Amino acid sequence: MFILSEEGKKYLKDGLPEVNLYSLLDKDPIEIDHAKDKIKNFSIGLIWGKKNGWITIEGSKILKLRQKEEYILPLALAQISKGEKVEQHNLDLLIKRKLVIKEKKANYRKNQGDITSLTPELIQTRQWKEFNLKPYNVKAVGSRIFPGKRQPYTRFINKVKRKLVELGFKEMTGTLIETEFWNFDALFQPQNHPARDWTSTYKLKNPEFGYLPNKRLVDNVKKAHEKGISGSRGWGYQWDPMKAARLMPRAHGTCLSARTLASNKEVSGKYFAVARCYRPDVLDSTHLIEFNQIEGIVVDESLNLSHLLGILEIFAKEIAGAEKIRFFPDYYPFTEPSVQLSAKHPEFGWMEFGGSGIFREELTKPLGINIPVIAWGIGIDRLAMFKLGVDDIRNLFSKDLKWLRESKVVL
Amino acid sequence: MPTVQFNLSDLENLVGQSIKSSELEEIVLYVKGEIDSINGDEIKLDIKDTNRPDLWSIEGIARDLRRYLGNDEIIKNFNVDSSGVSLEIDKKVEKVRPKAIGAVIKNVSLSNYSLKQLIQLQEKIHFTHGRNRQEVAIGVYDYDKLNFPIIYTTVDPEGLTFVPLDFDKEMTPKEILKFHPKGREYGHLINDYPEYPLMIDSDNNALSIPPIINSTYTGKITTNTENIFIELTGKYLNRLSIALNVLVTALSERNGIIQSVEVNYQKEQLITPDLTPKKFSINPNYARKILGLDLSKNDFILLLNKAGYEGKFKEDAIIVEYPAYRNDILHERDVIEDVAIAYGINNILPIYPEISTIGSINPIEDYSETIRDLVTGLGYQEILTFSLTNKNSLFGKMKLEESNICEIANPISSNWSVIRNWLMPSLLEFLTYNQHVEFPQRIFEVSDTVKIDQKAETRTVNIKKLSCMLSDVNAGYEEISSILYAVLSNLGVEFRLDPLNHPSFITGRAAKILMKNKEIGCIGEIHPSVLNNWELNMPTAGFEIALTYLFP
Repeated sequence: MFILSEEGKKYLKDGLPEVNLYSLLDKDPIEIDHAKDKIKNFSIGLIWGKKNGWITIEGSKILKLRQKEEYILPLALAQISKGEKVEQHNLDLLIKRKLVIKEKKANYRKNQGDITSLTPELIQTRQWKEFNLKPYNVKAVGSRIFPGKRQPYTRFINKVKRKLVELGFKEMTGTLIETEFWNFDALFQPQNHPARDWTSTYKLKNPEFGYLPNKRLVDNVKKAHEKGISGSRGWGYQWDPMKAARLMPRAHGTCLSARTLASNKEVSGKYFAVARCYRPDVLDSTHLIEFNQIEGIVVDESLNLSHLLGILEIFAKEIAGAEKIRFFPDYYPFTEPSVQLSAKHPEFGWMEFGGSGIFREELTKPLGINIPVIAWGIGIDRLAMFKLGVDDIRNLFSKDLKWLRESKVVL
Repeated sequence: MPTVQFNLSDLENLVGQSIKSSELEEIVLYVKGEIDSINGDEIKLDIKDTNRPDLWSIEGIARDLRRYLGNDEIIKNFNVDSSGVSLEIDKKVEKVRPKAIGAVIKNVSLSNYSLKQLIQLQEKIHFTHGRNRQEVAIGVYDYDKLNFPIIYTTVDPEGLTFVPLDFDKEMTPKEILKFHPKGREYGHLINDYPEYPLMIDSDNNALSIPPIINSTYTGKITTNTENIFIELTGKYLNRLSIALNVLVTALSERNGIIQSVEVNYQKEQLITPDLTPKKFSINPNYARKILGLDLSKNDFILLLNKAGYEGKFKEDAIIVEYPAYRNDILHERDVIEDVAIAYGINNILPIYPEISTIGSINPIEDYSETIRDLVTGLGYQEILTFSLTNKNSLFGKMKLEESNICEIANPISSNWSVIRNWLMPSLLEFLTYNQHVEFPQRIFEVSDTVKIDQKAETRTVNIKKLSCMLSDVNAGYEEISSILYAVLSNLGVEFRLDPLNHPSFITGRAAKILMKNKEIGCIGEIHPSVLNNWELNMPTAGFEIALTYLFP
């Protein structure tokens, strides 16, 4: 459907300017200035009058060239205004002259000018002025959309990582697969310890064995286990390098600390790791066979037990938002002394937050470290469950798209 | 960690004072205990220290608490008289299970409850200290049914018969390994040897096949048993002595009288148990440095006493004496920790170390984080899935031939028996759980995968990957490739796509993603038969790229 533009409507009413101009010239040539005054849209009339070969200009005067034939355009305008069809070339000409425009939506004119949608044409042609834009129910909310979102648990871990970086900690990373040497032996965990049993630790079938590090390091570790090192009695058993070379998915992130210590004598500093760890546990609402640990070390000549407590305290306040804290003696195989911390959260009450200890000398000496190393770990899974309102640990790795889409992003 | 079950009333009897259950939590901190449950009089207590078998019985816990509460001497003196009986060690045991020691306890009068306590302690020692019987196995017998000396020797697997505990017919050792539950559980410790270990008395009555099972006749202890003979077998004498000392001192808390046994090896004789306190030297300056406490000589002595040590200054060192049942004193740190506990951990002022360092995120992790944010901005929901999976998910359902994959030897379930080498199967699995959830579903994950690499130290390398997946009625190559383009172009990566024949994708609708000439991933519409394998009903398309190779 085509309709008249504002200009087209005007010409339908007042006549086309070229026709009006021609009529003015009926007898004698006239002055341009005179015609300008008399004819609305004079320049348009002049252009189309000349184009049609009706008139010409000589000096300051306009004169008629020939008798004008029957002019179809005024009729065409009238027909279009009534919604009748016109010949295509006339329609094209009127569209070109912007006297006629395409009507897009039939409902523009319905309901006495009530319309729902504003369109680019309505805005461009100013036609919107003729319509009433219907009001909406602004209390209603549009249909649900689901934004691209971060997974709540990875977002939480990222937040903790940033906090640690603010506290001056540097991130350590490593392979998911470790040799038992780094996972256990370098940490002074005896080879016959039940934690290294078939039932407590995964082993690999493929690949089965990795490579041991340099001989000096291996010999030091062997000595620490068999006879003791640095004043220690050792475990008093025969250390087996083949067992140490066995591969396993790492059971904790402490192997990364050991590697960091062994890699560099000028190691003084603060380090952390977010480590994916694996243990053959029963999978239930409080245990995962694959989980994340955040742990790390602080290495410096000046460190002592009060610093260990200080680190735990600042983590509890900065990371868990704890108000009150309490320390408990604890046992970790790699550290002595060892301390566990419980923190009182304003909402969640007392919860076990993390642990810390000073690495045993039987661990640090073979790695070439002669200064105290504080090792710490945060129970990040538990903390995340509290913060994210998840009561089943398996949901940290949520399979539920609906929950992921709807979970709040506030922490 | 070992969990000890006992009655509160029994603890009160042993400690010699009443203990409110509200105080208990506080008191047990001293033995690194944490209450697991309180059910009326019955208490379950977790002992966190896996290196202190002396605390794995209520008798041992009570002894330490008694001293802590000031009701007992610092190091308890145990009288050990000779029993006059002996244990003879045959040379034949050397190759199988070389060491054995023993003790006699007279005048025991066990109730059902204290008998249970003894069995509980035996189990804890077997499992943790005894490395699941490999290093320590305990045999307890009715002394009055035995004819001494006892001989520790070996026997042909079919060389004799006796009735093992919990059975009522005679069996050969070989049959015990085959049919008795304990034989099946621990048989692997001896069944590679031509002869099995055997404890036998002078009347040819079998006592036991260590470390498997006792005979019913001599090895059944009841509330009527008056005197006990204990033997321990294993690999290392020091581990055996600790275990024996823990057992006999626990029984002496129930008024048993400890008597020693002569243990005769080919070339030497031991008198066991030896309960003489042990000595260790610590450096007080080192202790001050580790504790961050300026303790005086007197402070040290008082704190050591509170912790169960006798301490004497000798020149610049402190010589400490500690009970012979303690296994955990390897290094002076072990004594220093006990001093800290006696001082009270909560009495030490926490100080945050003033070490100036610059923190940083590992570059590849930082890069991954940037990519997560980028993909999130493209309207994709991040997910997190497990890296443990199975071959059927990685290969079978994806219509792939099996390739070299990182495989667990002892999975708890075949569902989690390999570590994934690509992410797409995990994303498809995720979609299967969400078939009822509104579409379109757009998901992604950035995670580590493991690739076998024979040259690497761990014969594996981590490859960090990104996978994006779109599932919808109109899901197809066009949208997913625009996402790929948006990701890679924003990372400044120039890439091209080359047609790829890959069984997981529809033929003619898959491509490999190439950076220069290195293949960094693949993209395509998931093959309908793969969708059927995952029981997915929506057209699905995805891509996967190895960020490790992109990382500048």
